[in-house]
Amino acid sequence: MDYRGLTEDLVKRCLNKGANAAEVYLVAGRGLSIGIRNGDIETMQETSTRGVGFRVMVKSRLGFSHCNDFTDRALDSTIKSAVAFAKHTTPDENNVLPEDSDMTAVEGLYDSRIADVSMDEKIELAKRVESLAMRDRRITKSSGSRYFEGENEVFLANSNGMLKSYKASSCGFGASVVAEKGDQKSTGSEYCSRRFYEDLKSPEEIAPKAAENAYAMLDPRMVKTQKAPVIFDPDVARALLGGILSAVNGERVLQGASFLRDAVGEIIGVSQLTIIDDGIRPKGMASSPFDGEGVPTQKRTIIEQGVLKGFMYNTAIAKRAGVASTGNASRGGFTSLPGIGAHNFYMAAGEIDAEEIIRSTKRGLLLKGVTGYGINAVSGNFSGGASGFWIENGRIAFPVKGLTVAGTADAMLNGIDRVGNDLDLNRSLAAPTFRIGEMQIGGE
Amino acid sequence: MELKQKYVDGIPRRDFIKTTLKGGAAVAASPALLSHLLSCASPAPDVTLSLDPDMLNRTLRRALEKGGDFADVYVENRISRRIVMEESKFKSGVFGISQGAGIRVISGDKTGFAYTDEISEEKLLRAAEIASYIARGMPYTAPQSVKEGQRESFITVKIPLQDLADRKRLDVMERANEAAMSHDPRIQMASISYYDEIRGRTVANSEGLLLSDALPLLFFIVQTLGVGDKARHMSRERLSRHSGFEMFDEVSPEQVARTAARESIAMLEAQDCPAGKMDVVMENGWGGVLVHEAVGHPLEADNIAKKVGAFTGKLGQKVASDVFTMVDDGSLPNMRGTTNFDDEGTQMKRNVLIEKGILVKFMTDILSAKQIGMERTGNGRRQSFRHIPIPRMTNTFIDRGQDDPDGIVASTNSGLFVKSLSGGSVNPITGVFNFTCREAYLVENGKRTTPVKGATLIGNCMEIISNIDAVGNDLAFGPGICGKGQMAEVSAGQPTVRIRGINVGGSRARG
Repeated sequence: MDYRGLTEDLVKRCLNKGANAAEVYLVAGRGLSIGIRNGDIETMQETSTRGVGFRVMVKSRLGFSHCNDFTDRALDSTIKSAVAFAKHTTPDENNVLPEDSDMTAVEGLYDSRIADVSMDEKIELAKRVESLAMRDRRITKSSGSRYFEGENEVFLANSNGMLKSYKASSCGFGASVVAEKGDQKSTGSEYCSRRFYEDLKSPEEIAPKAAENAYAMLDPRMVKTQKAPVIFDPDVARALLGGILSAVNGERVLQGASFLRDAVGEIIGVSQLTIIDDGIRPKGMASSPFDGEGVPTQKRTIIEQGVLKGFMYNTAIAKRAGVASTGNASRGGFTSLPGIGAHNFYMAAGEIDAEEIIRSTKRGLLLKGVTGYGINAVSGNFSGGASGFWIENGRIAFPVKGLTVAGTADAMLNGIDRVGNDLDLNRSLAAPTFRIGEMQIGGE
Repeated sequence: MELKQKYVDGIPRRDFIKTTLKGGAAVAASPALLSHLLSCASPAPDVTLSLDPDMLNRTLRRALEKGGDFADVYVENRISRRIVMEESKFKSGVFGISQGAGIRVISGDKTGFAYTDEISEEKLLRAAEIASYIARGMPYTAPQSVKEGQRESFITVKIPLQDLADRKRLDVMERANEAAMSHDPRIQMASISYYDEIRGRTVANSEGLLLSDALPLLFFIVQTLGVGDKARHMSRERLSRHSGFEMFDEVSPEQVARTAARESIAMLEAQDCPAGKMDVVMENGWGGVLVHEAVGHPLEADNIAKKVGAFTGKLGQKVASDVFTMVDDGSLPNMRGTTNFDDEGTQMKRNVLIEKGILVKFMTDILSAKQIGMERTGNGRRQSFRHIPIPRMTNTFIDRGQDDPDGIVASTNSGLFVKSLSGGSVNPITGVFNFTCREAYLVENGKRTTPVKGATLIGNCMEIISNIDAVGNDLAFGPGICGKGQMAEVSAGQPTVRIRGINVGGSRARG
């Protein structure tokens, strides 16, 4: 099917049905997921999906509709619904569509070879990572391994003459296992995902990590409630970055719902703290040539050596704030309006080895798992369940579970005193190992 | 003003169903294929088109052609409306239509699945073929011819959503916004989200089952931002039912808004929460999400069938204190977790999971029921035709106890009183859970005192149900969204309960 032609044509149909401005966002894709347990296929899912979303403006009023039925009758009726719905929303002069016809060149988003790799090889990969992870005697059960892949093509057109498209792919695999000892159970998993099949790590590298994540947490001990340094492993980057990401959302800022709302240009953290949003990193899992409404993506520094440089915007919120879009319109597929979101969002690496950070910590917590919501973007408060390892005299002494950690964003960002050099940019939300000098730890 | 959804409180359950059924006609409309709905001008009338049973039979035959024990076809069409009002403006309206069919083949412990967005015989047969891949070479089970069946309905509608003028939807939003913004000058922003949908379902399987229905769903969320000199607090109140628009006659939008606004103001005075082990009193209602996570997920039979779940091998054993009875009931009239039958066609019913401390039942779908040799409990649910059904909760709650709620607080020397939780999660294998409190107070000398912010509750499911030592007589429910790789609408409920010795994550030392 000529989706590009259809997308362009649908914009005209929106205008014919009464829209003053219109945008059509069409996605077509497919996916495969293979679940293995105990050496045999447990689930196999093959999917192909397509759908289209219509964003229309009728005299500055916004309407949106979506459907996955591509018959003419369904498409026309869906457009009519968007136009009809627009009659009810409040007129807003900020409801405009972008004009920029450029696209940023981003290498390595689509691997046409994934589809050529045989089904048997993919099944074998998932079986192998499970059997390797089960090889460790301490591992007693498998909760399953998986191979998954997907590819999507996005078509975007609007009544300002924009017509763009790009293709992207992803694939990955990994295993989840259980270690048991007496009545104790401990789970561990490790996964790897990439844009290109050939870039996947080997099962020999993934499997031992899954096993270690499980057995290393056996025989945990409790520690006393205390204040102590906390080292954040790269696995828990989200606990810090998630809240910052929400707090620099330009719309939240305008609504007063961000603890960073008045802080642009100000020092909000230590000078070792630099945070970047990168939409153009080659092969980046969250890279794309344009954002969810067609604005070219870029690489931006959000926090530079502790100073907050700016917020993230889509076109409408940028207009309201009197600035230019930062290319951060996010889209949860064809069923939703553009929101605001990050691309590859990460804390820049420092110079110290992660081992050195542990060695230089007399007593403290190496945080490997955090539960909860991370930093609250409104209040800046942080509180979560914690697990990991207790450090005594610069060495890992024993695993800990059932602790809590708490603090405020202000104290955390200003309390970072070591930043590691082990940044892995293959994750879309990434940080190297870093240490916060003192946090409240809840134990017994 | 307090808002509680006491659907079942104080009325014997059976009587309640009768009362509700008298109120309106049960929804019996068959699902309509989208293109037929679309051919009608809005508002859409009831459409009673059903799928050709012979086409479904041919699809099921194709699905089992290579081998396998069981196959099903799930056809869905969903029409939804989402409207958002923020900063006193109607910011967006989203109208959605979605249709498709998912086809599943089970062979032993294996599941094959494929779906199609397009409902034509050609596409159904193609999906059936893909789903059958996992059953190659296995013994063949001939499918039974499908026969249209009936299920008891637990969902009644007085004011159908499909006949509703959009203006009515906007009215309830404006009323909520007005009530929130006029509650207190410190409420600086309100966000009102309105969602409704009609989900038409047809389930056909190789056991000869053929069922259809159309489920209405309403979900209304008010968030308010309170701004004080030093603090800001965003709070949330939700109202949701499988029912018609009469939901707003029973609980007004103003009530929902005031509940959110009250919390936003109350929490502006919040102090730092102490860290460490303490006794926790949870207020009745949505606090039931704690046992939903901590106990409910580990009682879903998929991890039991894999022999990895926390409760594996514990059926018939004493797992909780005597005062603790936990129930999952997908047949409570019109509640958010209620349907007439689950997404595999199994009749909804009341399932007592833990009775006075004894583990008596797991929640199953068709596959896990077969694997662990237990009845089908009606918990096979799916987010959409794009997802495989898996064991999920419906309306899950701690059953009513004997204790006076005020007495529970009065008999607690010191600890934490939790009024609302943002939500939480659990590892169903180890049973380790966590929760984030949104509104909580210290309990000092049997009295609720200072509000505290930033509290996390953590623990292990086995510990918590052994440590519940008081259960109130004030059972109530709240609506929520449950994620387990896919989303499901649920309710969680409980009376006021006390849990001894939970680890609380606060930002200061106790003292």
